[in-house]
Amino acid sequence: MTRAYVDDVSAERLASLQEQNLELSRLAAELRNEAALRTQFLSNISHDLRTPLTAIITHGEILRDGILGELTARQKDSVGGIIGGGRQLLDMIGEILTYARGAAHQLTLTRTSFSIVSAVEQVCALSESLIAKKQLSLAVTIEPELPPLYADRDKIAHILGNLLGNAIDFTLPGGRVWINCSRGASTERGYVMLVEVGDTGIGIAPEHHELVFREFAQVDASASRQHHGTGLGLAIARRFVELHDGRLWVESTLGQGSRFFFTIPVRSAP
Amino acid sequence: MVPHILLVEDNALVIGALRLLLEETGHRVSDASTLTDATRVLREDPPDVVLLDLTLGGEDGLTLMTSIDANGAARPIVVALTGHDDAATLERCTAVGCRAVLVKPIAPMKLKSQIAEWLGERGAT
Repeated sequence: MTRAYVDDVSAERLASLQEQNLELSRLAAELRNEAALRTQFLSNISHDLRTPLTAIITHGEILRDGILGELTARQKDSVGGIIGGGRQLLDMIGEILTYARGAAHQLTLTRTSFSIVSAVEQVCALSESLIAKKQLSLAVTIEPELPPLYADRDKIAHILGNLLGNAIDFTLPGGRVWINCSRGASTERGYVMLVEVGDTGIGIAPEHHELVFREFAQVDASASRQHHGTGLGLAIARRFVELHDGRLWVESTLGQGSRFFFTIPVRSAP
Repeated sequence: MVPHILLVEDNALVIGALRLLLEETGHRVSDASTLTDATRVLREDPPDVVLLDLTLGGEDGLTLMTSIDANGAARPIVVALTGHDDAATLERCTAVGCRAVLVKPIAPMKLKSQIAEWLGERGAT
């Protein structure tokens, strides 16, 4: 082979590789654009669905609160059903949008320094009426002198809310649910905070322990009929935990309750 | 004098619900579905309270705050209405001078008592 021939072949290959490179860059940009468009579409749809629901719920609450005159008990129950259904739909729309943002890697963390106690109290207060309605007992144990977390407070509350919501949904009346927060394992950079949300509910068979974290997973259709979520709650919770470099897992036996654990590395504010 | 509320919102169903609530609880209500309409009401019939939706079609509701600052009349109490109560939204609203951020749907009795409280502070009741 002559030197000139080798140079020609190399130049040809280089040109071909450069062309392939350009094509790949173009495809990558196209995919990014499509993901952004999909999220924007979901965001618009979410806004468009929320707006009329807001009107329905407000009208319902005006009636319920007697602003247009007192209702009978049965009328109040009926209006309560409209409001309850509307609020459930709103929550589901919110979850779908959060999931879409996560799938498009558009979730970011807004870290602040806060006490885990305040996040637990907030979530428990929101679940108070559901717990009372199902006659469940809720116990909260927080190890004394836990340092503040430097994390995204909204997302930590969201994780706790999803886990507690599941615990309530899948526990029969009269059962127990609990939240424990403690100092977890040591790491190279300090240690992790360990949070447990447990219940005495229907439990999950070991072969389904990973399935429950998949999107739209339904382990037991009959149990899921009682649970009106989107099937995204645990997938979102795991994504939020992983964004914090933590881990979320479940320990459970069918018929003997479930214990969900998550860790959040404790780091100090810069 | 009956307190005057300006409702800046682009959805007729939401305007209908909030107008009913506010009128039934003793307020006079004007509504505006665009920033231009809202600016006109601010100039011609200054309200005591502005309930301001953050998303008005393609417009950012918070840009109305510059018209309010430019308006010579007594500054109304501005309350942001939003579908999201995340930390970034709260920060953005308080940074431009919103008195509060309310997440829709707003509980009627809560809105009624909060408006009474804000008007009390302003001495408009």
